[in-house]
Amino acid sequence: MRLPILGILFVVSPAFADSIAFNRDVRPVLSKHCFACHGPDAHARESELRLDLRDEALKGGESGKPAIVEGKPDESAVITRIFSRDPELVMPPPDSHSELGPDDRDTLRQWIAEGAEYEGHWAFQSPRKSVVPEIPEAGGNPIDRFIAARLAEEKLKFSAEAGAFTLIRRLTLDLTGLPPTVEEIAAFKNAHSADPETAVSELVDRLLASPRFGEQMAVRWLDAARYADTNGFSIDGGRHQWLWRDWVINAFNENKSYDVFLTEQLAGDLLPDASEQQIVATGFNRNHAITHEGGTIPQENLVNYVVDRVKTTSEAFLGLTMGCAQCHDHKYDPISQRDYYRFFAFFNTLDDAGLDGYAGRNARPTIEAMSCFADPSEAEAIQKQLVDLRREYEASMPNVQARREVVWRADLDSVGRDFKAHPLGVIAATSPNGDPERIKVQDDGSVVLRRGEFSAFNVACRLPVGEGPLAGLRIVFHPTDSAKGKLGYGSPNGLEGNFVLNTLTTSTSSFPAGNVDLNAQIPMERITASTAEVGHWPHEITGTATDGGWAPATGSTTPQQLTVTFEKPIDPAVTPYLTTELLFNFGAGCSPGRFQIFAFAGHDDGSPHPEDVTAILTAEASTLSQGQHERLKAYFQAQAPEKAGIRHQIANLEERLAVITRKHSVLVMNTSDKPRQTHILERGVYSAPLEAVNPGTPAALPALPEAGDRPLNRLDLAKWMTRNDHPLTARVAVNSLWEGLFGTGIASSSADFGSQAEWPSHPEMLDWLAVQFVESGWDVKGMMRLMVTSRTYRQSSVTTPELLARDPGNELLARGPRKRLSAEQIRDLALGVSGLLVERLGGPSVRPYQPGDLWRQISHFGSSSATAQSFIQDHGEKLYRRTLYTYWKRTLPPVNLAVFDAPNREVCTIGRMSTNTPLQALVLLNDPQFVEAARALAEWLLESSHPDDSSRLASGFGLVTGRPATDGELKVIEDALARERGRYASESEAAEVLLEIGEVPRNASISAVEHAAWTQIASLLLNLSETVTNH
Amino acid sequence: MFDSQSLNRRAFLGQSAGGLGQAALNSLLMASLVKASRGEQIEPDAFRQYAPKAKRVIFLFQSGGPSHVDLFDGKPSLEKHHGSGLPDSVRGDQRITGMTSGQKSFPVVRPIVSGKRCGPAGVWISDMLPWTQKIAGEICVIRSMHTEAINHDPGITLANTGSMQLGNASMGSWVSYGLGSDNQNMPAFMVLISQGTGKNPGQPIFSRLWSSGYLPSHHQGVMLRAGADPVLYLDNPAGVSRAQRRKLLDDLAVLNNHFAEKTGDPETMARIHSYEMAFRMQASVPDLTDLSNETTETFDLYGPESRKPGTYAANCLLARRLAERGVRFVQLFHRGWDQHIAITRQLPNQCRDTDQPSAALVMDLKRRGLLEDTLVIWGGEFGRTVFSQGALGSPVAGRDHHGRCFSIWMAGAGVKAGHVHGETDDFCWNIEKDPVHLRDLHATILQQMGIDHHRLVFPYRGLDQKLTGVEPARVVKEILG
Repeated sequence: MRLPILGILFVVSPAFADSIAFNRDVRPVLSKHCFACHGPDAHARESELRLDLRDEALKGGESGKPAIVEGKPDESAVITRIFSRDPELVMPPPDSHSELGPDDRDTLRQWIAEGAEYEGHWAFQSPRKSVVPEIPEAGGNPIDRFIAARLAEEKLKFSAEAGAFTLIRRLTLDLTGLPPTVEEIAAFKNAHSADPETAVSELVDRLLASPRFGEQMAVRWLDAARYADTNGFSIDGGRHQWLWRDWVINAFNENKSYDVFLTEQLAGDLLPDASEQQIVATGFNRNHAITHEGGTIPQENLVNYVVDRVKTTSEAFLGLTMGCAQCHDHKYDPISQRDYYRFFAFFNTLDDAGLDGYAGRNARPTIEAMSCFADPSEAEAIQKQLVDLRREYEASMPNVQARREVVWRADLDSVGRDFKAHPLGVIAATSPNGDPERIKVQDDGSVVLRRGEFSAFNVACRLPVGEGPLAGLRIVFHPTDSAKGKLGYGSPNGLEGNFVLNTLTTSTSSFPAGNVDLNAQIPMERITASTAEVGHWPHEITGTATDGGWAPATGSTTPQQLTVTFEKPIDPAVTPYLTTELLFNFGAGCSPGRFQIFAFAGHDDGSPHPEDVTAILTAEASTLSQGQHERLKAYFQAQAPEKAGIRHQIANLEERLAVITRKHSVLVMNTSDKPRQTHILERGVYSAPLEAVNPGTPAALPALPEAGDRPLNRLDLAKWMTRNDHPLTARVAVNSLWEGLFGTGIASSSADFGSQAEWPSHPEMLDWLAVQFVESGWDVKGMMRLMVTSRTYRQSSVTTPELLARDPGNELLARGPRKRLSAEQIRDLALGVSGLLVERLGGPSVRPYQPGDLWRQISHFGSSSATAQSFIQDHGEKLYRRTLYTYWKRTLPPVNLAVFDAPNREVCTIGRMSTNTPLQALVLLNDPQFVEAARALAEWLLESSHPDDSSRLASGFGLVTGRPATDGELKVIEDALARERGRYASESEAAEVLLEIGEVPRNASISAVEHAAWTQIASLLLNLSETVTNH
Repeated sequence: MFDSQSLNRRAFLGQSAGGLGQAALNSLLMASLVKASRGEQIEPDAFRQYAPKAKRVIFLFQSGGPSHVDLFDGKPSLEKHHGSGLPDSVRGDQRITGMTSGQKSFPVVRPIVSGKRCGPAGVWISDMLPWTQKIAGEICVIRSMHTEAINHDPGITLANTGSMQLGNASMGSWVSYGLGSDNQNMPAFMVLISQGTGKNPGQPIFSRLWSSGYLPSHHQGVMLRAGADPVLYLDNPAGVSRAQRRKLLDDLAVLNNHFAEKTGDPETMARIHSYEMAFRMQASVPDLTDLSNETTETFDLYGPESRKPGTYAANCLLARRLAERGVRFVQLFHRGWDQHIAITRQLPNQCRDTDQPSAALVMDLKRRGLLEDTLVIWGGEFGRTVFSQGALGSPVAGRDHHGRCFSIWMAGAGVKAGHVHGETDDFCWNIEKDPVHLRDLHATILQQMGIDHHRLVFPYRGLDQKLTGVEPARVVKEILG
């Protein structure tokens, strides 16, 4: 069947054949083409003519002639002007770049001919519960009757109900963000064949009660509320706002009624006897970007912050784009600049500072609060787990330890062999900040530093040529007079008289390079030091944490050295220059007085272990005391790579315990003792205040009476927004829920219910749902239930070419919804089906795999004490948490989510677009997170008790897509499996390296060839279009 | 109609008896169908109003605020006033950042290094930029740029997205949205980042500067990085070969095609396309970044750093290679131009990083016949104050931010060569003649691409959004030949 080629260019349009409806047909035309000069904005108004008000239009502008004459288009100036061919007369004028199309002109003519009736903008009128159409065959759900009525007008019918496999997958993804398990699918299939209605109803109940429901629902709200883990502007340092994020998840899980959800976020702090959680909720209005960029003007920033609160509150809750009125009266909507600043005044009364949020501290005002997930039973369970884990940590592993000792001893055997150090000639030593005179290169090549903070020193050196390859670098730190005979300038509140070398980064080049090349960092294999302060071990310099790093023993008055051996020797014949960056970012004055850099050949003559451990390792085993054995065992536990997994487990659980048993900081709203007075700002400029205004709501919306003896506050505003007859709040809310399920809202411009809004596809249904929502007590789960149990939602999404041509956007809903999974769902699905997912609710955001240190390449790393300047990957369970817990750095959001259309969370985003790009393919095929998931899925399939490949493949296919594979599909995959087996059998090394990707240990009893081949098959399954589609 | 087809490669290749995929795949229709099924509007190219002069743009963005006083706007009056206070009458109501607003005096500082008048227009160019002096006959220097911003974040956001507010779409994403890609194997908008040696690290930059804002996210700039995986996730995992991947993608296409046929899903057909492009990119990107076939002479032209991946010089060379491959919008971000302190030490370094490679790019494009349809722009988010930040003559002294006037240059694609536009006053503080706002620059760039900036719009949140926003913007016709 060929596609009717022309057909698809038609989109569904309102039936114009009958009479004109002002709001549907005329207002959009006037709004788009006329209101900019003849609308609400008094300053921009031309010829004193308004076309947004009927009386004004009938009266006309300064010409004195009516612009519109009822029933007489040919006498109406509007019509003569829009049809004029005279460029001097035609409207809109050519230089406005806003031509009217022929259809638009005819619409206006017909409207005037029919009497030029105006209606108030639909979304500004309170919704009324219209009569539900009587369509017996549509069933009892009012949604279906509204949809069926419109379908009947269009001579279309509902599609058949989707099959059981599709239904459970669609519902589970939409309500929990995760795919159903094999067991859940089988159970539902059985129940569905017995009694479909009951099966669906019970399924929906189960899903709505799942804690995963809140996680799924939260994502859309986090986008709207521009939730993130960093401050956004400029240096974009870290903040701690996860308590608020967890409040949102919990609110959905507890089915907090929507009016309370709104009220607590806007004004939880103003409620009588506000609880801690009610104050946490107000973090909503503190999620905006914040700056501590030096040089910015505090008053200007404070205005920007309020502007963002106004924007987010009005868009997310009211579907109003008020932003235009910051600078001038709104061009399209009846929102004056005065209205804007009255609304602004609600959010301008807190104790916030213009520059704040530095060094990982939350910007004021903040409170310390408990997590809403602080659950004593989880704490108890963790305590128990920790006991077990510590026992496991301390358990003897004689064989593993013995093997490790062999490695350590072998390393020490070669210590100092052929060692030869060469002092390096220093070409330049520089620092980005501070006095350039602070740093001086001496004649002997040593570098002398004056006291100072937060510096990355780049030292460019010439390598000795003709001495052969060099194994590594040694940096010797010397006591100086300026440091009172000590090694560094540390103050008593840090490490007195000491320094901390946080990070060492080195690159080589064929010419002198002033700066280290982050793209060509030389990996370090072995790091030793002459002494180390407890907790500041030499190997810490491979990290980028400001509180980490190596320090020699505090108090040293003799030279101390750090020596690094590179993974591979460097060859000065190829790259005669070396640049190394020494970062001293610890604070408290902890930078050194003088250092000198050497390169060396041969083996480092130092030990990577503490002195006592080195002594043990180099002694005869038979001579060791019991105490020395214990010391060695403890050292093995604390340092050996074989113990890394359990160390991560313990550290993660200890952190979790702190999360749920202690208070943590969160940004919140408050009311200042001396609130700022709000003024109208000329053209929105902070420094151009006009008349003072008090809080209030836009005049075109229902009135909010003054409070009498006090100014109106955010609680008054929240009460006004949740009035039963508010025209916007409930409509916007149900439209948003609908958009989340169907992909498009009933009003498709879901963030704009103003006069530029798209006319809703089913206006009566939107109103009915809005009123129903309020009448139900703003019951979110109830509304979701009503929607997902509708026949409309449960239809098959299979499309015929005819239907696709007729209604490409599925506005009429003659078929079920089909959406690409969200960025979060795609990753969660991979983690879920592979068994890696860790279902833990809430807590600080986590940093799963990300390629390289992308943050450092764009950030202020090395020049400030702001946090989140360098990406430090987490380990253990934090690699496998649900994606909504991934750390969101605003200036560089998680790259594997951004390619799947996740927003950067800098501003309010309502709904996401869905694109389809090659970068998405690259993520799903090559990102270690997904490669590891494929490996784990393969392992699960290979471990499960299937009799043969076919049943194993069938099981994998079913797990990922939620349905049985056809024979044809199985055949394709079986052939692929045979091919992959052949490939890895012929090159088993390739299998080994593939299986090394990802940190989760693999079951080594599975043959590598087999495991690798199945990993490819699992990857194929995870990449199926069907897998990433909710259909 | 959508009956299950035999699943084999022949079916995928479209030799069977029709079906949705076969009719639509590889056709323009496909794109419209996918757009329509997403509810996106299908707009005719109403914004293409002019014959395009530029097929592509290379924006050499100098992040941090290069000092116009020292680089392009030197003049005898600065010598005369050197050391004396900036008169209040000149300073006027200019806002000063929190970093110098506490200073007691504002002594004028002449250019830290001398310069000379160059090219047919006799434009003053610093001796720190000897290579730029050499191409003075090819470029048009605009000395009368201005912006409202006085700090980096709002400044660089305005320069790249047309607004100081967050959430807007970047220049390159607008061009991608308007014109799409000229190369099926490459994204339309690519971004390269480097760090200067003048100030390291420079002011942070943000993915916001190449984001798609409210535009569909496939218009966002794709970062091209130095080292392995030049595009994130480009390389197959270890242990997976290209031939092996090819066969797996064939299987994937067969299965996806089956799904599309069965369900009538245009997105899945588009996804098959995306996977194929991803596979092609895995070859085309390494081919792009493999400089082994560049001659020694070319490396010499761009300077020694051009051999070192990730440097500004290497990125300039890559920019030419991207231009050759039809990438519409190539944007370099070079950090480190924020000389608040130690300008006499930092600025020469910044210049050394960038001078030769920038000039080399113009020369290289010219000799290859690419300059006539490639628009090259060199500039940052604002300029720097004529007065000293810190004590006059101190080695620590620098210059603060200055948005009231600053200098950029443009070359190629119909921009007047050897031209100078705009003048500032004796203090390089106020514009005397021919102001050009950043919005005007944006309008001009779009015009050279054949786009009417008034008409390239995207409806969002109740407004037809434009790169040039709601304030007036004009095409700078005076600089166009």
